[in-house]
Amino acid sequence: MQVFKAMFKVMRSRLPSALIYIVCFFAISAIIANASTKENKFEASRLGISIFDEDDTPESHALTDFLKKSNDIVEIENDRDIIIDSLYYKRIDYALIINKGYAERIKAGDTSELFGSYHMDDSFSVVYMGQVLDEYVNSVKAYISMGKTFDEAVTSTEEVMSQNAEVNMFRADNGGNSHFSVDFAGYFQYMPYILISIIISVVSLVLVTMNKKDIRYRTSCSCLKESSYTFQLFLGSFLFVFVIWILFMIAGMILNKEVYTGRAWYAVLNSFIFSIVVGTMAVLVASFEPKDNVLNLITQVLGLGMSFFCGIFIPVEVLSDKVLSAARFLPAYWYVRANNMIADITQFDLNEVIQCYLIQLGFAAAMVIITLLVRKVRYSGAAIGTAVKKAAAEH
Amino acid sequence: MENTVIKINNLVKRYGDLIALDHLDLEIKQGEVFGLLGPNGSGKTTTINCLLSLLSFDKGDIEIFGKKMTPVSYDIKKEIGVIMQNVTVFEELTVYENIDYFCGLYIKDKAKRREYVEEAIKFVELGDFRKFYPKKLSGGLLRRLNIACGIAHKPKLIILDEPTVAVDPQSRNRILEGIQELNRNGATVIYTSHYMEEVEQICTRIAIMDKGRKVAEGTKDELKRMIKNTETITIEILDIPDNIAKEIASLPHVYDTDISSGKLTVYCSGGKHNLTRVLEVLQKNELSFGRVYTELPTLNDVFLEITGKALRDKED
Ligand SMILES: Nc1ncnc2c1ncn2[C@@H]1O[C@H](COP(=O)(O)OP(=O)(O)O)[C@@H](O)[C@H]1O
Ligand SMILES: [Mg+2]
Repeated sequence: MQVFKAMFKVMRSRLPSALIYIVCFFAISAIIANASTKENKFEASRLGISIFDEDDTPESHALTDFLKKSNDIVEIENDRDIIIDSLYYKRIDYALIINKGYAERIKAGDTSELFGSYHMDDSFSVVYMGQVLDEYVNSVKAYISMGKTFDEAVTSTEEVMSQNAEVNMFRADNGGNSHFSVDFAGYFQYMPYILISIIISVVSLVLVTMNKKDIRYRTSCSCLKESSYTFQLFLGSFLFVFVIWILFMIAGMILNKEVYTGRAWYAVLNSFIFSIVVGTMAVLVASFEPKDNVLNLITQVLGLGMSFFCGIFIPVEVLSDKVLSAARFLPAYWYVRANNMIADITQFDLNEVIQCYLIQLGFAAAMVIITLLVRKVRYSGAAIGTAVKKAAAEH
Repeated sequence: MENTVIKINNLVKRYGDLIALDHLDLEIKQGEVFGLLGPNGSGKTTTINCLLSLLSFDKGDIEIFGKKMTPVSYDIKKEIGVIMQNVTVFEELTVYENIDYFCGLYIKDKAKRREYVEEAIKFVELGDFRKFYPKKLSGGLLRRLNIACGIAHKPKLIILDEPTVAVDPQSRNRILEGIQELNRNGATVIYTSHYMEEVEQICTRIAIMDKGRKVAEGTKDELKRMIKNTETITIEILDIPDNIAKEIASLPHVYDTDISSGKLTVYCSGGKHNLTRVLEVLQKNELSFGRVYTELPTLNDVFLEITGKALRDKED
């Protein structure tokens, strides 16, 4: 087991940077957890909004009435400077302009350019109002297309949206009776980033080191069987992935002061499957034999990229459809999807969760196949690997 | 009595259009220190890599210890110690751990391995550096570590590919002595180098390679006998009239002369007292001259004569 032991000695040199990733992870978790509690409070309190209704139709009045229910309407003059001042001094959070033609367009099923708005760039109110308005008009449009009258559509929409709000409240309070609270789910939510960072930076580094041409040649001069060599590399990589995963499971229990029961086990399995996917990703990255600095870059790109595009750092709801349809080609998307489903009792569907598992495993299989192809191309000149098979066939 | 350890027959290796090994034959007997001498790019490393089944080749057979060598000949590989041209160690492992790793590829028994590793450390005199990482070692020490990694398991056949490149003279001598010691203890050694002095110093038999071909083979004396030059006389002299130059060129045993940049060079083939005869001619004509020196042929001369070019540039 020389190769196996050497792998862990090589890993030693990578411990400091792995520690940095872990510190980053907890820092980011803390920041995001903080932000999410703020968001909850924010939802509970009401926004101050001003509405300028340029359409002035019963339909636009209906929207104004709807918004009034959950927000405070502040009357100010429709003057750009005054509005901006009001926003700046926080007398209002959001100024909404209902464009002329609102009623006609929405009845015709066209939801573009219905609104204008003034807001501060970085505020939650932007995201929140954007979401509420989107949901409102899309839902109204959907009911109208189903053949309902405008009034019926508005009534149904309001009903559904107030229900959802309740669900959200319920979800924020408690994960239901299955012991999988939002915080705990959040811990799993951010895990892909740290798993990708640690596993790729460490496992790929070790594999690159063990597979450097000179070392590979030197090792195949010895009487160590090639199959044993490959097996030990596999075992070492797998053990590392497994240990890291176990550590995060234990850390999760300690940090969140919760134990795994009920639906939490699905999240545990989800994270295990994702760890394996990342392990195969690390093997694939290693087969290109990147230099150290390139490897760091790849780790960052994969870790941050998947985190931003697959709804890890930014909630899936905020991401555009284009991004989401592209994200389907990334394994983290399916991890997050499963995790969200597990976290939300109203959306939980075991079949779909299992489907997400299988898709992730599919990614792992694809990664293994690509790795084999890459190796075949890269090592085609060398006798070892290819020649071993030839020689074995001759015997 | 002399057993053949390695037999290479008609070996051809191509890299695309380049013929790296051109119908190479080699036979190495037990107990030899066999030198593979040739300039950079002559195919020494390629020969070694084919020998070890690291590279596939286009044609030919390789037998080691009387058995066909293949990538899966683990029983043969077990008896071979390899010191690669590039220092092949783990940056992340200490001196001790590196030797232990490579030794452990052959020796499973822990106690025995510890003993072997310690012996190897002693042999290359790295005792004070056990816990050092390779980055902290000088070129010479690194080379010694490289050697320790290759010989710790006490192989019967040791293959060293240019083990002294970029090494200070002191380390180099230590390495050469070490190789002879391993040979005295019973190991057969293959030693590749482009330094003829080293090969002359330690090898019992030498093959000279050029452009993938073996151009000569024999003991160093046999090789030197192959060429007609036996002595080269150089005399510093400012001016020499044509008739006197002709007279010197027609002396017995002189086969060539050369006058350039204030130096007269006389190439002799066999015979004795060549220098005396040349100096007599100069004195008789009352020509004054500066320093005088004579050189016996080196393997470089052998190489020069066979291939028409120098083995290597003066200092590299
Ligand atoms: N992997 C390779 N691909 C193409 N050409 C190579 C390769 N390795 C070596 N060569 C060429 O083969 C010839 C012999 O190289 P090598 O065996 O390394 O010589 P030496 O060890 O005597 O310096 C050189 O011309 C070299 O450029
Ligand atoms: Mg070489």
